[in-house]
Amino acid sequence: MQEGTPLQARQINRELLVSILNSPKWFFGAVSICAIGVLIAMATAGFMINQGFGVTGLNRPVMWGFFITNFVFWIGISHAGVMLSAILRLSKAEWRRPATRAAEILTVFSLMTAMTMPLIHTGRPWRTVYWIYTLPFVPYDYARGIWPNIRTPLVWDPSAVYTYLTSSILFVVIALVPDFAVLRDRTTGISHRIYGMLAMGWQGNPRQWKLQIIAGVLLSALILPVFVSVHSIVSWDFGMAVSVKSWHSTIFAPYFVVGAVHSGVSAVAFVLIILRYIYSWQNYIRHEHIDALARLLIVVATGWFYFFVMEVIFGFYGREADEIAVRDYQFMISPWNIWMMIFVGVTYFAPVAIWLSKSARRNLWIMSLACILVNIGMWLERFLIIVPGLARKQLLTFDWYTYTPSAVEWIIIIGTFFLVTMLMLMIARVVPLIPLYDIKEGEILRTEIKVGRVTVPATFRED
Amino acid sequence: MAATEPKGHGQHAGLWVFPDVTAMSRDVSEKTRSTPRPMLMALVATGILFILGIVGFVARAVGDGFDDISAWGYYLAVFSMVFMVTSGAPLAAVAFRFTKSHWRRPLSRVSELFAIVGILNFLMFIPLMFMLPSIGNPEAVGGVIEGGLAVRKTIWFEGPIGAPHAWNVVGVGGLVVTSLFILWLSAMPDMAESRHTATGFKRTLYNKLSGNWYGTKKQWNAQKAGLALLGAFYFMTLIFMHFTISSDYAQSLIPGWKDSIFPVIYTITSLHMGFGAVLVTLFILRRFGGYDGYIGKSTFWSGSKVMLGITLLWIYHLFAFFITFWYGRLEVEQNIIKYLITDTYAIIFVLNLAFSFALPFAVLIWNPVRRSDWGPALAGGLLIIGGIMFNIRIFVGSANAAPGSHIYDYLFEHVPSPVFPDVWDVFMVIGGLAAAAFVYMLATRLLPVLSLWEVKEGALYQKWGRLHRGEYLILGKPE
Repeated sequence: MQEGTPLQARQINRELLVSILNSPKWFFGAVSICAIGVLIAMATAGFMINQGFGVTGLNRPVMWGFFITNFVFWIGISHAGVMLSAILRLSKAEWRRPATRAAEILTVFSLMTAMTMPLIHTGRPWRTVYWIYTLPFVPYDYARGIWPNIRTPLVWDPSAVYTYLTSSILFVVIALVPDFAVLRDRTTGISHRIYGMLAMGWQGNPRQWKLQIIAGVLLSALILPVFVSVHSIVSWDFGMAVSVKSWHSTIFAPYFVVGAVHSGVSAVAFVLIILRYIYSWQNYIRHEHIDALARLLIVVATGWFYFFVMEVIFGFYGREADEIAVRDYQFMISPWNIWMMIFVGVTYFAPVAIWLSKSARRNLWIMSLACILVNIGMWLERFLIIVPGLARKQLLTFDWYTYTPSAVEWIIIIGTFFLVTMLMLMIARVVPLIPLYDIKEGEILRTEIKVGRVTVPATFRED
Repeated sequence: MAATEPKGHGQHAGLWVFPDVTAMSRDVSEKTRSTPRPMLMALVATGILFILGIVGFVARAVGDGFDDISAWGYYLAVFSMVFMVTSGAPLAAVAFRFTKSHWRRPLSRVSELFAIVGILNFLMFIPLMFMLPSIGNPEAVGGVIEGGLAVRKTIWFEGPIGAPHAWNVVGVGGLVVTSLFILWLSAMPDMAESRHTATGFKRTLYNKLSGNWYGTKKQWNAQKAGLALLGAFYFMTLIFMHFTISSDYAQSLIPGWKDSIFPVIYTITSLHMGFGAVLVTLFILRRFGGYDGYIGKSTFWSGSKVMLGITLLWIYHLFAFFITFWYGRLEVEQNIIKYLITDTYAIIFVLNLAFSFALPFAVLIWNPVRRSDWGPALAGGLLIIGGIMFNIRIFVGSANAAPGSHIYDYLFEHVPSPVFPDVWDVFMVIGGLAAAAFVYMLATRLLPVLSLWEVKEGALYQKWGRLHRGEYLILGKPE
């Protein structure tokens, strides 16, 4: 039997537009709390810029700490959008339907948030203009080859991220057009006019649908290489550096990409559970969808664990004293070894043990816990790659310390979580976080067939 | 006889087939019993080449012995080629059974039958065990030596007892045994069905191997659970063995080569070769074996999408390896790039790149080609050739990178010249590949090449249904 009750188009419109057409009482309170968190973080960042990096825990040689860890983390979260939307769309997985929009929007906001981190990390954000432009009044002359050095991954990185951001926004907008038209027809005044513009004359005729589907498929295929390139290039920020032992590893690119998908899909599963709860979308985000996400996550997590093991084994394989020293730091010396155990436990063993049980996969509380654990673990993973590698005494290092983040860094990092939550809540007020037309299509295509005495769920196949 | 899809279903044309399940068992049994003339000729031809391979092997053994692995580079390569196919192919059945994909049904047995070729592969591995240099440097006194390593770089570090030789044998053997168990468990219902109609040796074999199978609900549930458990175990063993073989017989033989992505590239190439071999076999069965009523184009279409994905993964991982070494500018890494990619084995690398990526990608990118049966099979054939080039480049290169005691050097300081095959090498390579084909063809005479119960089960889950003004396929998805 199919899970859930059959849904009519009118009911879908009414229930999925509830977040836009009616504001729940808690909405403004929740947004205000997030806004306060963001303002505090902004004020703290302003304080840090005014006072200098001395107020952070960053030091020589640990010059990358919480900010870069958080940058990699949010880039990782952004990989959920394409993973769910593009790959599952191309593979025609039916259970993708309620998850795609939230995933795509989470991608956009997490990318935006990620890009604030390197800016803050520069300490003098206005100077980043040198990275991008050569202006007449800017004292650095690109022609001299001084700055920016386009041969460094640190410059490839923003190029890849901004390409991904642009294409992700395009991806979201294209998928939103039919839903904007529904909103256009259900709003009045200024909202009606804005949605009318965004709907771009959508009437839902066969030609428009055909173009929309072709655009979706083409964008899905075209965005995939961008999706892979982004975290690969982020990994090369580390992998290209031969001087920091434990970073120069050929496996970093796929290891980072799979890790990003792991954390991103877990984050989307968590967001879906929250959406189901706050907007009463039980008919749309069903247990079967969360179950399917969890099964996907078992595969992704196991793939990630394989890459992790390869990375560690080949760290020892070289038998190089410098690298062994870093590994010793990661695995044997407190507190790093404790963090390492927690990281591996919460990123792989605990969640996969949970996901192996069908009843646990269908228990939303347990699933939420598992998804949060994965993201704590993936944050720790990036931290444990960056800091021990830099902190360890190495050849030609004349100064070495460990790293303890200051309150300033903690506040800014927590602020980024408030920022993404606030943006997600605010966008839920203007666009449906579950695609209306996708759900309607799924309802049309789903059916049942009888096999002997059993009725099994089935789908009409267009090809 | 099976019925192909009726005309008039628009975009579904030729994709899905609706086999006549009542006549299917008899039809497939007859096909299994008979050996058509072209197949007989193929058996004779591959059998002769197999014998030539044995001649090459014996000649090499008499001439060079088993002490120096550098004389056995091409043998090592052909072992790895067959290993990649026989280990990668059964994974197609395992993986798509896990995902409950309907299109996989006709390919399950075709891929599982490669397990029988695994026995040959295990026999091929035994001599290699003696050729692999020990982990410890025999010239090291008290664990110390000047200008080299007392214990060379390996994944076994200080060497657990018997490593790497004993563990590799256990691993390769374990992989073969597991895949044979999967084949046995999967084929049990079909053997039980055929035990009454079969005669002679086959009747005895089917009686013994199908045990007390009567198709009770309990037995079906046990079979399902057994296949899932064995599948998971097989997958883990496969990953582990690809890691050990690619490390012990390739990476650790080139001093200073530390490359964490190489085992992954090796596994992906194995998936290329295994899945490619499955699609080529399916094409032959569909076009020339009379199985067109059971094997729809949907198997090729969906399989081709998987292959396209694997092809892109292959180039991505290769690029990740290349750019990290190239950008790092360390001398040892530059020398490895020169040796395996740009200088010594440059031509083989270009062929490898063309056949493992460029050509299959150019074929598989087109939807009409993917929807055909010849397109994916062509891509599969190209990928097999690409895999052959990969194995020659890597294993001939590794076996000849550091002759003698240089294998214990700390760094790879000199880029050696290429090693071309002599006549015995040619015999061994062609003979090894022919032997694999020979054993596979024999296996298809023993067991039905189609998983009858799976195809019949699939037929229950598909039917035509009306939606608005069109008629479409409805596919059931059991839990």
